[in-house]
Amino acid sequence: MSRKRHRLVPETFGLKRRRELGDVEADPLRGESVHVAVTRSLRPGSAREAVAEIVRLFPRVLFEDALPPIALRSQVYSLVPDRTVADRQLKALQEQGEIRIVQLGFDLDAQGIMFTEDYRTRVLKACDGRPYAAAVQKFLASVLPACGDLSFQQDQMTQTFGFRDPEITQLVKAGVLTVRDAGSWWLAVPGAGRFIKYFVKGRQAVLSMVRKAKYRELLLSELLGRRAPASVRLGLAYHVHDLIGAQLVDCVSTTSGTLLRLPET
Amino acid sequence: MLGFLSARQAGLEDPLRLRRAESTRRVLGLELNKDRDVERIHCSGVNTLDIEPVEGRYMLSGGSDGVIVLYDLENSSRQPYYTCKAVCSVGRSHPDVHKYSVETVQWYPHDTGMFTSSSFDKTLKVWDTNTLQIADVFNFEETVYSHHMSPVATKHCLVAVGTRGPKVQLCDLKSGSCSHILQGHRQEILAVSWSPRYEYILATASADSRAKLWDVRRASGCLITLDQHNGKKSQAAESANTAHNGKVNGLCFTSDGLHLLTVGTDNRMRLWNSSNGENTLVNYGKVYNDSRKGLKFTVSSGCSSEFVFVPYGSTIAVYTIYSGEQITMLKGHYKSVDCCVFQSNFQELYSGSRDCNILAWVPSLCESVPDDDDERRQWQPTPMFLPHGWRSLVGYSP
Repeated sequence: MSRKRHRLVPETFGLKRRRELGDVEADPLRGESVHVAVTRSLRPGSAREAVAEIVRLFPRVLFEDALPPIALRSQVYSLVPDRTVADRQLKALQEQGEIRIVQLGFDLDAQGIMFTEDYRTRVLKACDGRPYAAAVQKFLASVLPACGDLSFQQDQMTQTFGFRDPEITQLVKAGVLTVRDAGSWWLAVPGAGRFIKYFVKGRQAVLSMVRKAKYRELLLSELLGRRAPASVRLGLAYHVHDLIGAQLVDCVSTTSGTLLRLPET
Repeated sequence: MLGFLSARQAGLEDPLRLRRAESTRRVLGLELNKDRDVERIHCSGVNTLDIEPVEGRYMLSGGSDGVIVLYDLENSSRQPYYTCKAVCSVGRSHPDVHKYSVETVQWYPHDTGMFTSSSFDKTLKVWDTNTLQIADVFNFEETVYSHHMSPVATKHCLVAVGTRGPKVQLCDLKSGSCSHILQGHRQEILAVSWSPRYEYILATASADSRAKLWDVRRASGCLITLDQHNGKKSQAAESANTAHNGKVNGLCFTSDGLHLLTVGTDNRMRLWNSSNGENTLVNYGKVYNDSRKGLKFTVSSGCSSEFVFVPYGSTIAVYTIYSGEQITMLKGHYKSVDCCVFQSNFQELYSGSRDCNILAWVPSLCESVPDDDDERRQWQPTPMFLPHGWRSLVGYSP
């Protein structure tokens, strides 16, 4: 019983929490490198490394490299243990202009994160040779570095950045802007519709894998070892990070590893 | 602990430090204890609890059947095993009992001679504790969800009442009638709370996703409407000026009144700066909330890092307020928890739930059980088997 109490006392009291044996073994989410000493350093301490890690998991081949690798905010939460710190770091990265955050339409909480460079190169490649290329290039050159927000207002676009209405229509046609309501637009990724469709289907599929299991719980290693059903195109590890971070499954640490359990509520 | 005591004795450290360290250690060790019980009187769910602020000895509870019970929490017997007995109760046979469920009870903040209770039968009743008779009744047109009386007020005796209508009513106990109405919300008011710092500042939470701060002396409208995006419309997915993306269910000021916590049916809890209404963006994660009426949660006071205790389904989730870290989930109730209160003198938590039980969560003390004694004596040299709190306070490093 005293062992349980040890875990409750926070670090402010100057305690060294006894390293649990679970930390030492390889985290199956990382897949390879089973080295004991190294796994501690592989866990990203910062949001930037978390985003880079998820970007590595993103299947570029599936989208023929036309889509920038997108990570979700919930995936960053699953890798960085403290949510408030993760939020602050993401905000700092957003202000520096290193990442862009995009509102993915299907859920109020789901926000996609990608590196600005990736976004810029992919968008330029997508609009190559099309009639709206000029407007898109003007947008990428003037608006993106200046305004790091998720959405843009009518007066902002026309007055501050000098876009005319036909140009804005071209941007919407190019897929760079999505209409939000009269006079405001979300920043969007051209061609992201397919990604969102695969993502939503895959999330439901992985969640149903846990739901169908006996007692509605699955060991993480077993889940990752199973064959992905056909509707999971983005990879099991990608979806598992998202489920853990969005708290759609509870993570319970057991002697056999991490257990994913559906919450009772 | 001995280090703290000797530093306090020598004047090297402020006496408050020892008190805060020990309070925090005790709160972190909250658990169900077989030695502490609360007598079971209610036959239906317990909706509200309140501990009197003067001594912290008496607790009121209001149930879904309209019954109000008064408990004595003090352990005057010399035994470790103690059941908190009910001193008296307003039962179903009482002539003035509420007809429907009692939603909120509150002690009169300055002494235990009086308490107020509001219920779904559209009344707010003021009771005399000693005779258990009604001193006054306020009638409303709509069901009353919540009421609150300011704990620090000396210049006024206003009770803020939140009903199913969009207007917040302020009832004056001295004159016996509603003194004024605060307009601004659009749907039912689910929670009201006075600031523990300023006697004229009131916070209200409504089902229209808005939480507002009012100064009741001001005639024109609210001071601030809390905006979760801090005014940046670009981040907002919907219309601005909403505190949550669903109904705002519960409100609680921190014990110093500088911050305000709100919970909403979008399963989020937010921490606001109460002076300028800014969202501090502390992320508590998913705080499950499906309560259709108000959720009564509470904060600790007197600890070095304050904790918030939120009913989370049939458990109680404990978070540190300013960092958002989840400390633990207190499991013990069988059905959903409706309310909890914190007794700051002894760092105890009492919670009431729909399973008609009131549970007492008590800091676990290191009692020596006869079996463990031999083990302790064997392992004395290795310090890691001492309770963690003690090790740190002594300043012992292994």
